[in-house]
Amino acid sequence: MSGFRSKYAWKASPVLVFCALTLGLTACGEIDQTAKVDKIYAGKKDSKAYEGTKFAGDKAKWESALVERSKTQNEYIRTDVADVKKPNPN
Amino acid sequence: MARMKFICDAERCIECNGCVTACKSEHEVPWGVNRRRLVTVNDGKPGERSISVACMHCTDAPCMAVCPVDCFYKTEEGVVLHDKDLCIGCGYCFYACPFGAPQCPQAGAFGLRGKMDKCTFCAGGPEEDHSVAEIKKYGRNRLAEGKLPACAEMCSTKALLGGDGEVIQSIYKQRVKRRGKGEEVWGWAMAYNRKSAKPEVKV
Repeated sequence: MSGFRSKYAWKASPVLVFCALTLGLTACGEIDQTAKVDKIYAGKKDSKAYEGTKFAGDKAKWESALVERSKTQNEYIRTDVADVKKPNPN
Repeated sequence: MARMKFICDAERCIECNGCVTACKSEHEVPWGVNRRRLVTVNDGKPGERSISVACMHCTDAPCMAVCPVDCFYKTEEGVVLHDKDLCIGCGYCFYACPFGAPQCPQAGAFGLRGKMDKCTFCAGGPEEDHSVAEIKKYGRNRLAEGKLPACAEMCSTKALLGGDGEVIQSIYKQRVKRRGKGEEVWGWAMAYNRKSAKPEVKV
């Protein structure tokens, strides 16, 4: 009896494996979650940051002002540590 | 110009809450709303680190994607802003945001959900620049004045850097070179091989 069972079990195993894989891998599919409709802003129009009174629409001036201001966050420029380490020539 | 970005250097942040205070003060943010806050890990233990968190002005912002009334927009500089007149205070953006940046004021006896409020990168909102309406709804528009966000400019240790992404990236790079460490906190190794990338903690 045991030989009969093992014989058929061996034959059925590829089918079982296939079924198991099919069931197991069904969860591996990824559903596209990208929005199909393009989101369009529905609110009020905002002016550009450089269009105010200070920069009067001069984008380049505004950008350079911001870059210069950003650089002040670098204390290595403000107080250069390398200069402190230099030996005193006197 | 590159995109406007924030970066917080966890090696420098001393959890002083100066950025939080600067933001609250600059924009007169209502009670119960913190546009910026500090997150500390391993509090009181060796290896304690703090980081200042606010809206990160994502390139592909989830808040914009989920908003049912499309009240979000992005400026040329990559700053994510929203129109409070259109916001219905549904709170979807709060659930979508990985940083917990959008917040709804809980004013009223029954915990009413007000219109969403979040960091504007000190760029105001869709109202006339420096108008009373803009200041009241969104706070001060420092960007239009050629200034950087108040939190970053107020930071005493310059842990929080804000501004042109290329500039602040170069500042951080220079720091990493000078102190000889810090590279390990970014990139593939940190994300997928934490064991080898774990920094040594000296007691």
